[in-house]
Amino acid sequence: MKVSLNWLKQYLNLPESISADEFALKLTMSTVEVEEVEKQGEHLENIILGEITKIEAHPDADKLKVCTVSDAQENFQVVCGGINVAEKMKIAFAKVGSKVRWHGEGELVELAKAKIRGVESYGMICASDEIGLGEMFPSKEHAEILDLSMVKAKVGTPLAKALELSDVVLDIDNKSMTHRPDLWGHYGMAREVAAIFHKDLAEYNPAKVKESKEINLNVKVEDTKLCPRYMGVVVDGIEVAESPAWLKQRLSAVGLRPINNIVDITNYIMYDLGQPMHAFDSSKVESQKSKVSEIEILVRKAKDDEDFVALDGSKHKLTSEMLVIADNEKVIALAGVMGGENTEVTSDTKTIIFESANFEATTVRRAAQKLALRSDSSARFEKSLDPNNADLALLRAVELTLEFCPNAKVVSKVVDEKSFHVNQGPIEMTLEFLERKIGQKIETKEIIKILVSLGFEVTEKKNILSVKIPTWRATKDISIAEDLVEEISRIYGFGNIEVSLPEFTIAPPEKNKLKILQRRLSNVLINKAGYNETLTYSFVSPNILQKLNFDLSDYIELDNPIAKDRPFLRRSILPNLLESLEKNIHEVDEVCLFEVGKVFKKEEPGVRISEKSDELLPRQDTMLGVVFANKKEKIPFYEMSQVVTDLFAELNLGYSLQENSEIDLLHPARNAKVLVGDVEVGFVGELHPALQNNFGIESRTSILELNLDKLLNVWVEKDNYKRLSQYPSVLRDVALLVDKKNSNLELLNTIQSVSDLITSVELFDVFESDKIGKDKKSMAYHITYQSNEKTLETEEVERVHEKVLEKLKKSVGAEVR
Amino acid sequence: MQEKLQKIKDSFEKKLKSIKDLDSLDILYNEYFSRKAGEMTNIMKSLKDLSGEERKEMGALSNTVKTEMESLFENKKQELENKKWETLLETEKIDITQPKLPQERQGSKHPVTLVHETLENLFTSMGFMLLDGPELESDYYNFEALNIPQNHPARDTQDTFFIKGNKDMVMRTHTSSVQVRAMQKYGAPLRAVVTGRVFRNEAIDASHDHTFYQMEGILIDKNISIANVLGTMKELLAGVFGREVEVRLRPGHFDFVEPGFELDMKCLVCEGKGCGACKHSGWVETLPCGLVHPSVIESGGLDSKEWTGFAFGLGSSRLVMQRYGIEDIRLLHSGRLDFLKQF
Repeated sequence: MKVSLNWLKQYLNLPESISADEFALKLTMSTVEVEEVEKQGEHLENIILGEITKIEAHPDADKLKVCTVSDAQENFQVVCGGINVAEKMKIAFAKVGSKVRWHGEGELVELAKAKIRGVESYGMICASDEIGLGEMFPSKEHAEILDLSMVKAKVGTPLAKALELSDVVLDIDNKSMTHRPDLWGHYGMAREVAAIFHKDLAEYNPAKVKESKEINLNVKVEDTKLCPRYMGVVVDGIEVAESPAWLKQRLSAVGLRPINNIVDITNYIMYDLGQPMHAFDSSKVESQKSKVSEIEILVRKAKDDEDFVALDGSKHKLTSEMLVIADNEKVIALAGVMGGENTEVTSDTKTIIFESANFEATTVRRAAQKLALRSDSSARFEKSLDPNNADLALLRAVELTLEFCPNAKVVSKVVDEKSFHVNQGPIEMTLEFLERKIGQKIETKEIIKILVSLGFEVTEKKNILSVKIPTWRATKDISIAEDLVEEISRIYGFGNIEVSLPEFTIAPPEKNKLKILQRRLSNVLINKAGYNETLTYSFVSPNILQKLNFDLSDYIELDNPIAKDRPFLRRSILPNLLESLEKNIHEVDEVCLFEVGKVFKKEEPGVRISEKSDELLPRQDTMLGVVFANKKEKIPFYEMSQVVTDLFAELNLGYSLQENSEIDLLHPARNAKVLVGDVEVGFVGELHPALQNNFGIESRTSILELNLDKLLNVWVEKDNYKRLSQYPSVLRDVALLVDKKNSNLELLNTIQSVSDLITSVELFDVFESDKIGKDKKSMAYHITYQSNEKTLETEEVERVHEKVLEKLKKSVGAEVR
Repeated sequence: MQEKLQKIKDSFEKKLKSIKDLDSLDILYNEYFSRKAGEMTNIMKSLKDLSGEERKEMGALSNTVKTEMESLFENKKQELENKKWETLLETEKIDITQPKLPQERQGSKHPVTLVHETLENLFTSMGFMLLDGPELESDYYNFEALNIPQNHPARDTQDTFFIKGNKDMVMRTHTSSVQVRAMQKYGAPLRAVVTGRVFRNEAIDASHDHTFYQMEGILIDKNISIANVLGTMKELLAGVFGREVEVRLRPGHFDFVEPGFELDMKCLVCEGKGCGACKHSGWVETLPCGLVHPSVIESGGLDSKEWTGFAFGLGSSRLVMQRYGIEDIRLLHSGRLDFLKQF
């Protein structure tokens, strides 16, 4: 919201010694965030009100004219392309040395004497947006100069003075005042400023209305919860005209376009008191009795599909949750949002009905949201306005109307349908509580002064304050003692509070084991395996899931996905990870990616949705996903099984791979479940070549997924140091010719099982060739023999080694090569 | 015989001088000392033919000569061997700028993880627990328990992702959703931080993504004051930035704290003089914080008369972008290797 300093000054005396920037800073530090300070007339030096005294054609250019501009003392020759230049026209004349924005764009540029198509030009006749007045005087056409003939000041007057541009306008971040309904008008803001600067606030005291009975205005409110107050009054003898200059200036300053006196009054009141108002053309409001002297207004729920055309011309179908203002035939306003076109005040309007009402915040917000029809009015009602304000607003509106239209007259009673209660407390607060919350003592006198200046009524008794909440703060903003702590501390100044540290007991924090696990695994992947960590979205597209033959019905779906193409919550990290792999693999030869993140499974139970409910959230385990592809690697399975080895080595945890996992995602012959004991913690394998093709990945790809929550359950942190043997070890190598179907694990187990003296068996070579047979392979092992009790004799080693070979031959048919 | 010995020694010395390499030295050595036909060996062998006194005399003499010759030989050998190391520079030169082949691949940690780990380490070192919570959260913990009831306008401003067919669940819009869970689980006193992923249904551009990261801190104890918020945040930020920082509080409204603040930090780039980084104000809006609202403490199952606390939030995505000068937030989820490999 824009706040005009001159407007505020209507209600309090602000010393001139406070600069605009200081003022803005103080307001930011105590109340609301000032985003920008606009000093009107700031860049209007050397720009004056000039008059065009003569216009001649440019000798060399059809579209340009050579004008003579007077500043009442001198004449200046100026070349101008404005389409509306005319002799005797008063204009904004920028002299050489002033600063303008060419065509209203870019940075300010200092004007110099120039030669335009061979004719000398001493300054510029400005368009409104070239001197920052575009908002105040919007131009209707391109290349239209600003016509100031209506300005009464003398030619030669500096423009800022001629237009009375002396105001400072603060742009306040609306988000910083959503909880403060009272600040949405200048009077409320002035109250705040008065408290900050220790000034007195002028009373808001409009004249009483002289009621009459010529017209009987009847208001019926069907639901007083949705409309706690509805005030209305009929004013006759209206002459719709331009507003007086002062009013137009106020509105322009806060960015509103002056329209006509009646509409301007309602807008002015809205920005003055924060109370939205509306004026209906009474002649367009249909009455049941068809008598001019009877007007009936109904505040009711809309009917489903009821039509409504708003003031801005937009057409809407209403729904039954919306609240409307209606006459006997039609909707004439959407309550708190916008008036209807059908009862709009126009230049012909003679009689009006002023509405000053209070509508329930949520109903207004919902309606505005649903119809995408947010207005200044709805923005205010959404904040829960004080119903007491409706009164002041109506009186002030009538006062101004009578002032602007000499023949105007109130022709009805002031109708006031109301049913509300504002809880003004009082709040009881001990001084001790306040001191504890702030962390330091503030003088009681000071505390009371601050609260009173903000409109609270305070009585003190035995160190307990009893604080009555002013109605404008009571609708939702303030209700508990903590709220008062904020009021007192912010006006006292957070900067005046002495900093201190809390006292704590020393206790080491409980460890987050999942994080520890996650970090250790990530570090191995990064530092040992050389993988790049990435983060992909938790949302996944049906397109990707279908490429992997996943069933979409298993997925939790967003109701309002931002990207229509990613509505599903991931059940695995791999799909998005594979998508990243695919994007990269076209650029490089090798991609090694991993991610740790949560997945969502609706069929598995997670934590409770609240302490009191038995309903559970879907389970959300933390998963590690790893993908690998290298254009030259035909069997990337081993890369990934090595990753598994590395990861489990880091954890000092035994694991096994179980073939034939029957996981559809994986290559039927190159896959395995990863087991710890008999607990399945994940899987590893090559992506099924058919799916890999679907994905547009050209090279064979291996993938790994580990469920870290499950892994954590079976992970016991232990050290596996073994005492060193005092006796020497003996190494024997053996190369075996076996069937291809025999696995390394089988051979290892076979060798190992022969004797306790075998302390390690390690595969060091695998070899296949037609020479040794199509179905055969050669596997070579280092076998280490060692005893903890004695030095092994050669004969003993040989005996055991022979046994090993025998067993290999017997149980797997291995032949020694 | 004496003469003969002298002659042998002289010729040995002479030949020795002209020797240039170890191989020739070996040959020379064998010429004189080989067991079968070395000249000196022959002399030593012939000693046995001499008579008693002479044999004794000549034996001593030839031993002296032999020792002298061997010493000369050893010196020469040493000399030549030393010379061999001197030539290493030429004979064994390599290109030390060449990497080990095949080249090792370099892994990398995501910048969000890097920043979160830094924050997590800092806070755990100060006694904060590291917590986590569901990303698909109940309406209750994300809003209701945080003093944001149904129909509260704050719900609109948070651009929430909802779940089809389940009104009780949302994608968490802030890590604040862990506050009440933490109180319920651990009670008080409590010091905890949560780093994690949050979701807002916002239009995406260079500075907005629908998925981003936050860090939430909560501290529950007795007698926590506004003065404590200022003091603690100052210390914490000094830890984050590794230097002393100046902070200020101004009012900020968040429903789950009362009073609520925006905490600004004096701009570290210009030291508060005003620059582009702080929009010429000298201060950078750093984090929202406040004293935990009594109704939130009650939601956590604690007595709000006994327990107080403060909470703060930090936009860690923004911190990541500032820390590394990342120009577009969308890069964080782009999965681009040329991006990831830089960290």
